[in-house]
Amino acid sequence: MGIEPGRLHFSWISSAEATKFVDVVTQVTDAVRALGPHENFVKHMPKVA
Amino acid sequence: MVGYIDKIKEISERLLKEGTVEMVIGFQKGTLPMMNTPCFAKTPEDVGNFVWDSHCGINLANYLTDRKEKIGVIAKGCDSRSIVTHITENKIKREQIFVIGAPCKGMMDRHKIASLFETEIRSVAENDGKLIVTAGDGEKTLEKADLLQKNCAVCAHRNPVIHDELAADPVEDQKDVDRYADVREIETMPPAEKWDYFDDLFSACIRCYACRNACPLCYCPTCFVDESQPQWVGKSTDPIDTKTFHFLRAYHCAGRCTDCGSCERACPMGINMRMLTKKLEKDCIDAFGWEPGLDLNQRPPLDTYKMDDPEDFIK
Amino acid sequence: MSTEWEPKIVAFFCNWCTYGAADLAGVSRMQYPPNIRAIRIPCAGRMSPKFILAAFRNGADGVWVSG
Repeated sequence: MGIEPGRLHFSWISSAEATKFVDVVTQVTDAVRALGPHENFVKHMPKVA
Repeated sequence: MVGYIDKIKEISERLLKEGTVEMVIGFQKGTLPMMNTPCFAKTPEDVGNFVWDSHCGINLANYLTDRKEKIGVIAKGCDSRSIVTHITENKIKREQIFVIGAPCKGMMDRHKIASLFETEIRSVAENDGKLIVTAGDGEKTLEKADLLQKNCAVCAHRNPVIHDELAADPVEDQKDVDRYADVREIETMPPAEKWDYFDDLFSACIRCYACRNACPLCYCPTCFVDESQPQWVGKSTDPIDTKTFHFLRAYHCAGRCTDCGSCERACPMGINMRMLTKKLEKDCIDAFGWEPGLDLNQRPPLDTYKMDDPEDFIK
Repeated sequence: MSTEWEPKIVAFFCNWCTYGAADLAGVSRMQYPPNIRAIRIPCAGRMSPKFILAAFRNGADGVWVSG
């Protein structure tokens, strides 16, 4: 629907898997960083002075 | 198709006289051509108002939610599937309803017919596969087959799935219809192009919620768009809010939508929001092999767990 | 403060799984990128598509759901 698939991630990490957690955070961050800022689906609120 | 009405009237009258049901839900002529409205017949005399033609596109399952009395209801293929969905979701009991099945060859697309005329349409008559439409700027005879609602043109279940009595012999189902050609086309678009497509698709939306109200699945006591604490979606016609509404409504219909086309039919702006529900319908078939409303005894995929549920999107 | 763009990622964590893992990563002093904003949910079953859309609508660059 116009949001790049790489912006949404799902994973399954058990509470003992701290190493996997660190790996996945890094992966997710890298994937989103590669896509650049997200602009499409953001609602721009009118600026209130 | 027009011939059904005598049989429908006969069955309805009998049910009401015998007291099998307290009410029969059918169609009566609307105040505008091509806009038949639901008719709730509570006495045998009321049955006289019933009509049945190619403009009965409204899904009557919509009026069954949480009813307590015994109800007779006229059901096309798609309506009957919505009734099955209602029963599996405990919105009504099977014993409570008497389904008068109406095998259906498709309903007319009122938006398409209206677009063929410059002025307002005054009357529409039908005769043996033809429509005779009279508008301010003259009369035209049109081929019914060319003017089917988009969902009817690709319908794969024309006969009622459940019925207690049929108003006519079952019709032949359409074979080899490609239901998802348009969905596949959008799936192949890159994200930016998709964004433009949906931006354009929903730009006309005036947030009247006619689609939600016409939808038999949208029976939540408080719809998420009406919630204010927390407010999930803004109430203006801001393009993002509009899209949030349509996307979320489609998600709520995932694995339940029978593609009856009520939403698109009800839309005053002629928006094809079925693109979203159809995509989710396709995903349900691909992921779970599930088509909604075909079996009373099968639980929908989103409320069951199987060891082999697809999970390749999870890391 | 650097003006360089950093992604903002909204992360929905199940209380019993990933939230525990995040906690363990914390107490074990592991290094990971600071771009996630963790939201603890009682169970991944609490997740709803509207959370994801709400996050994007409010300006998230990415969303991560983890059970």
